[in-house]
Amino acid sequence: MKLFSHTLVLVLLFSLFALPAAILLLVGLAPGWRFPDLWPAQFSFTGIQFLITHQDQIVSSLVSSFLYSVATVLVTLGMCLTPAAAFARNRFAGKRLMEALVLTPALVPPMTFAMGLHVVFIRLSLADTVAGVVLILALFTYPYMFRALVTGFQTLGEEYRVCARNLGAGPVTIFWRVELPLLVPAMIAGGSVVFLVAFSEYFLVFLMGGGTVPSFTGFLMPLLASSNRSLAAILTLIFLLLPILLFFVIDGSLMRSYRKKGMV
Amino acid sequence: MSLIGSRTAILILKLSPLILPFVVLFCGGVFLTVCQSLGIFTPLPHTGGILAAYNIILSDPSFFASFGFSLGVALTSAAGSVAAGTFLAYRVWQLPKALAGAALMYKIPLILPHIAVAFVVLIFWSQSGILSSLAYHLGLIQSMPDFPNVLYSGWGLGMILAYTLKGTPFAMLLILALLVRFDVRQIQTAAMLGASKRCIFFSIVLPRLAPAMHTSFIILFLYSFGAFDIPYILSESRPGMLSLHVFDLYFKHDLARRPEAMAILTLMFCFAVLFIIAYSKTVTHLENGVRKL
Repeated sequence: MKLFSHTLVLVLLFSLFALPAAILLLVGLAPGWRFPDLWPAQFSFTGIQFLITHQDQIVSSLVSSFLYSVATVLVTLGMCLTPAAAFARNRFAGKRLMEALVLTPALVPPMTFAMGLHVVFIRLSLADTVAGVVLILALFTYPYMFRALVTGFQTLGEEYRVCARNLGAGPVTIFWRVELPLLVPAMIAGGSVVFLVAFSEYFLVFLMGGGTVPSFTGFLMPLLASSNRSLAAILTLIFLLLPILLFFVIDGSLMRSYRKKGMV
Repeated sequence: MSLIGSRTAILILKLSPLILPFVVLFCGGVFLTVCQSLGIFTPLPHTGGILAAYNIILSDPSFFASFGFSLGVALTSAAGSVAAGTFLAYRVWQLPKALAGAALMYKIPLILPHIAVAFVVLIFWSQSGILSSLAYHLGLIQSMPDFPNVLYSGWGLGMILAYTLKGTPFAMLLILALLVRFDVRQIQTAAMLGASKRCIFFSIVLPRLAPAMHTSFIILFLYSFGAFDIPYILSESRPGMLSLHVFDLYFKHDLARRPEAMAILTLMFCFAVLFIIAYSKTVTHLENGVRKL
């Protein structure tokens, strides 16, 4: 009985969250799949062919999205590292209020500050540049990095730092050799969310990139509404696979480096 | 005294990488939005009074229709996501270790961008979609038009479905993070004392999950209230989400109407901030009334 209800939960999870991905694969391979067929009448590779003929455009938009998302992760990391340490370790007046305030950019509609900034970005020639896109994405996503790092510093505690200082290490050495390696999991947790949000954001990239900064979402958007569902499905699957691949690579290399240092 | 002064200075220095962009870019961005809504710093010289744009917006009944519509879509999808997410997270948490790995598939929609989730909803729920075909084969409908017009019902059901599909795993993620640290002995004790499953869930588990439920509700509600990606694909013509309205005014009309777009954005921002404050106040008030263990 218990096993039955557990299986039921898995079936529910599957049909809600995994089935759509499986269906996307079918849609991608069967452009002619129509009502009322429950299973595609025939499969074809026209979607894949389009993929191959337009590979330059697709690859360049993928690479562009990937690069500005990674840059966003690095910028948010730079923005949050020392403030997160200060928040985790110090008590000061107005700390709770300040913490609530710095988290608001992730909560209020991004349009409300991005559209106001647009005019300034145009004046500063930041609009339509990768730098402008990264800046606006970082402004929208840094709260995720900040939360993750504050939690990271809190779990770290003071002991490692005190111990290293007693052994004669200076603040820079403590940070580089002791704290940073221990913070990697927190950085990856925050960085994954920042990466995903940046990678899948359409509007902010459209606004600040103005079409000159290629993005995968910008490439995908017109196709989603078009009649060529097969191609849209294939591109959506690429969207799914790339981050998964990235996380596997990061996870694997992290485990390897931990093993090398004897931390696992 | 100087010791305290230098400590404060160091603290400010350490906080500055965050505070500076927050003040300059975020606060500056909001400030500029407000300014432009009042006709200051607009690309075209502003005609009319300082509140002209607000007068136009607030005397237009379609603004209130849009506002109510956005509110309804956001409330329904956020409440649905949190309810489904809580239930599923609890059941996933109860899964035996051998099956827990398979449950990780709940993370798939977290990776998919909003526009892709909207596309999935389109494939499943349109009248020529998968569910319609399924209904045909089950003999529930005879032809395509018999299938309910879910996506263009006028109720924003397509958007609600998409936001719920995207939001449920998010709520699950936050709630599972709390459940991992949950002490099973509390449940075992309650079960030994004869508590029913329902009683255990509602009186013991749910109160512990409340913080994560509140957080995910606020985040999901405000996101779907003001986001653009999903409405752009699944929108119905009227009344339409506020974000689409702003997009149209900003990009598709002449520059003279820019202050109107900015006035809507200002009102949306004020609503979001008021909502955060009111919600957290209510939650603290409620939690103070509950007996703590």
